[in-house]
Amino acid sequence: MSELGVGRPTKRRAGSAVGGLPVADSRPVLDGDAVLGSRCTVCRYPTAQQHLPWCPVCYGATEPARFARTGKTWSSTVVAIPVGTRRPPFGLAYVDLDDGPRVLAHLDEPAVLALGTRLEITGTDDGDLVATTEVQ
Amino acid sequence: MNQAMLWGVGTSSYGRFPDQRVESLAWTAVAEAVQDAGIRPDEIDAIIVGSVFGPPGVATRIQRGLGIPSVPMWTVENACASGTAAYHEAVEAVRHGRFKCVLVLGVDQMSTLFSGAIVPEATDPEGAASLPLPGLYALQAQRYVGEFGVTPEQLAAIAVKNKTNGMDNPRAQLRDTVPTVQEVLDSRMIAEPLTFLQCCPTSDGAGAAIVGGDRGDRSDLRIEASAMVSGALWDQRSEDVWGFASVARAAEKAFDQAGRTPQEIDVLEVHDAFTIGEIITLEALGIAPRGKGAELAPSGHTTRDGAQPVNPSGGLLSRGHPLGATGMAQLAEIAWQLRGQAGPRQVARHRVGLVETMGGGAAGMDGNACVVTILSTQS
Repeated sequence: MSELGVGRPTKRRAGSAVGGLPVADSRPVLDGDAVLGSRCTVCRYPTAQQHLPWCPVCYGATEPARFARTGKTWSSTVVAIPVGTRRPPFGLAYVDLDDGPRVLAHLDEPAVLALGTRLEITGTDDGDLVATTEVQ
Repeated sequence: MNQAMLWGVGTSSYGRFPDQRVESLAWTAVAEAVQDAGIRPDEIDAIIVGSVFGPPGVATRIQRGLGIPSVPMWTVENACASGTAAYHEAVEAVRHGRFKCVLVLGVDQMSTLFSGAIVPEATDPEGAASLPLPGLYALQAQRYVGEFGVTPEQLAAIAVKNKTNGMDNPRAQLRDTVPTVQEVLDSRMIAEPLTFLQCCPTSDGAGAAIVGGDRGDRSDLRIEASAMVSGALWDQRSEDVWGFASVARAAEKAFDQAGRTPQEIDVLEVHDAFTIGEIITLEALGIAPRGKGAELAPSGHTTRDGAQPVNPSGGLLSRGHPLGATGMAQLAEIAWQLRGQAGPRQVARHRVGLVETMGGGAAGMDGNACVVTILSTQS
């Protein structure tokens, strides 16, 4: 059974991290003191996505936007399995940015945080947003 | 509008079969479904296939062995709901008189792609940031722990219940032993709070169904409702955890079509890829109020001898999860249950059954798609 596929074509896997071809990076971008994204000029809906055809909420025009790096934890977990090139354990959190979108960030220390814990996006790690518990 | 009926079902076994051809898995399921429906293959006038991980042209490669040439045929992909999305299209086609007899097939062979968890989709923001599917469900679970005080024991009770049921399912992938709550909690951590025994295995398999009109056969099952919804934005404005709203939208449509309440459902097969998934799904279906879904398994309400058995087959947690085939496996179990053919798994009350399949993982959406269908016996 372990001989299956040896010397023959194997199925495609997406992403350079797992042996496939590289793809465009869709992750939110940190630029200095802001997370980049877009905001609707009509209803003000914020999103970490860019190049949208229109606002997905009201169909108004969107414009590039800069969002605060600070926000609160919607939920968090510690992943205990390897994912791509990531070695466990690593912490992940959904962060509701202040006046901005919900973004996925890696925690600088793997831990499960109380809901609502204040976090600050402090940098990136190979393109992933990295969040740190905000110093009060 | 014509009444759509379920004429027959069939499945392969579920497990890791990397040395089998994808077609072989499918043919096993199709042969059983055709025999179960009591039809000749040339009565089939359309084929709809649900599959996520291909290969490209999988439907034609399967058709090669069936001798059903030239009929309309297509493949749909809606993540874990691909099989039931294909079924939904068949139901709609029969309802509108487009076809008289449709072969629905769900198939996937995961063992030749992944050795463990599905590798996240690299083109997606969350996938690129290394969020695996158990991690996404873990974020749901932690939100529930923080918001509603769901305990680790309540989560583990889902795994114990479904793995107990799975012991009586000869087609299930995992049926060695039934773990205790403590053993579930002590198994290795995958993504906090979800341990190994709270995650379904990735699997190979196929499921098939024959959907047609009312041919006056009393053993056919009445399709009272079939509803499919795609995802909606899931963002910081939502009060729901990821996935909840898409299931709720499909459920509302299905109960409306059937003219039934959640309390009238006798037996359910729902998407328990991870323990938290069953809890959230049962709340979204209206079987439990929000925040109370975790009490259903420990109280016995959803056990096989309970008031509303959920996943009597053992669910995805026992059967395994060949994405495109999962919905069809759920449908087959409900068909067997409603007809009283489930053997040692048979539930006591089996007049009305429900299948829910939820597929997702695309960042920022509350799911890729969800299908809810309600079936009943004619007695």
